[in-house]
Amino acid sequence: MAIRDDFEVVAGQVRTVVQRFALGLLVVAAFVIMLIGKADTVLVEHARVVALDVASPVLEAIARPVAYANRAIADLREFASLREENARLREENARLLAWQTAARRLENENEGLRGLANFREGPEASFITARIVGDSVNAYMRGALLNVGRRVGVAPGQAVVTGEGLAGRIAEVGENSARVLFVTDVNSRLPVLIERTRERAILAGDNSTRLRLTLLQSVAGVQRGDRIVTSGHGGSFPVGIPVGEVVETNEGSVRVRPFTDFSRLEFVRVVDYGVTGLVGSTSGGTAPQTAPAGTPAPGQKVR
Amino acid sequence: MRADGVLAVLDRWGRAALPGSVLLFFVLLTLAPLRAPYLSDTLPLLPALVVFQFSLATPERLPGPLLLAMGVLLDLLLGGPGAPVGVSAMGFVLIRAAVVANRRYLVGVPFLFQWFGFCILMFGFVALVWAFTALWTWTAIDPVPAIMQYLVVAVTYPLLAPLLARVRARDPLNVPELSRGTAQPGETTS
Repeated sequence: MAIRDDFEVVAGQVRTVVQRFALGLLVVAAFVIMLIGKADTVLVEHARVVALDVASPVLEAIARPVAYANRAIADLREFASLREENARLREENARLLAWQTAARRLENENEGLRGLANFREGPEASFITARIVGDSVNAYMRGALLNVGRRVGVAPGQAVVTGEGLAGRIAEVGENSARVLFVTDVNSRLPVLIERTRERAILAGDNSTRLRLTLLQSVAGVQRGDRIVTSGHGGSFPVGIPVGEVVETNEGSVRVRPFTDFSRLEFVRVVDYGVTGLVGSTSGGTAPQTAPAGTPAPGQKVR
Repeated sequence: MRADGVLAVLDRWGRAALPGSVLLFFVLLTLAPLRAPYLSDTLPLLPALVVFQFSLATPERLPGPLLLAMGVLLDLLLGGPGAPVGVSAMGFVLIRAAVVANRRYLVGVPFLFQWFGFCILMFGFVALVWAFTALWTWTAIDPVPAIMQYLVVAVTYPLLAPLLARVRARDPLNVPELSRGTAQPGETTS
């Protein structure tokens, strides 16, 4: 009995000590976790991917009600500016019709010239349509979660586009989920071209709604309204995906408005251009080969 | 220990699990793609609000290890490349400790005092996260979005706190009358 009593006394003392230092222990534990995360980034990435995979079904379940709420909010706002919006759209429609004519003419011309030059088309791109099930928008990052993952062929570095233009690139991929890093994120650096002058530049995000254009040569040639497209340097994206337009040129700083409206994203397309470059090479071994265009995997749209 | 029926046992389990479940819900809600202006900015801070609110009455139902796990989960779900994992966990634990240590100023006092306490603690939390994120990524992060986030969540508190308090009020063990305003540091309600 004495042994048992002693044991209980010791156990009680240990408990008291643990209770007294519980706060310190917990804080130290949190700090150790942070240090581990800093030291072993691969482990953290794995943990992130697992967490995303676990969370994405739940998020998908709440995505629909959230989408309804968003639509209601957007509707309310649109009612306020219906008349101006209509006028603007009519004007834009007229302008676009003119462009359409021009595009048709150019397309025909292009086809003829290609035939003449025996031009070889680049690898056919395949699309995976994804729903945005989660936002990663907070004070420190701009991104989103998608409901598609490795299983349907999503791989890190692939481009994420909307109808308007480039939205971002895939940063992390789970089995059934993926995280997009938007071009507006502070960690985003994108090699681009100014469409009019073919001048190269780097487009950087800073977590605001405007992007910062860092020119490699001179600022002088840039005008407001210039379209910015991807340049294909660095090998992650092909040439010519529209990204945004220049809205502000001050001394040394050029601001670009992205074409994608990040506040209304609901569906995006993950595009695999079959270009494997710097970004993809880190995980290139594990990324599955994309199915050739025209053989859609079940449950996705491929164009 | 009295002999309990199944329902009573379920009831007890439910009560014990409630704060953790609400916290988990808000951690997951952090990622919900809500596009309401300003409101969606506050989502990442709502779990901290839940920790604060439940620590007022039933801190023993948010044990440290649970807070640690929830904080790590939140950081894993939220963070971008390079963001520190575990900083929210540290923040949660500190919020709970601060609330428990200052119960006499926070429990059973007029709502304005609670709000004031919340604002102080939340400022500490935001500053902690901001500082560690800046330190860990070694970049000068613009503090303005974080401050905006803080201001909005401070304004949101009076809207959300009564709701959470209602959930809590179902508990008959909730803040006994005697201890109102006189709770000693470290004293809990069960």
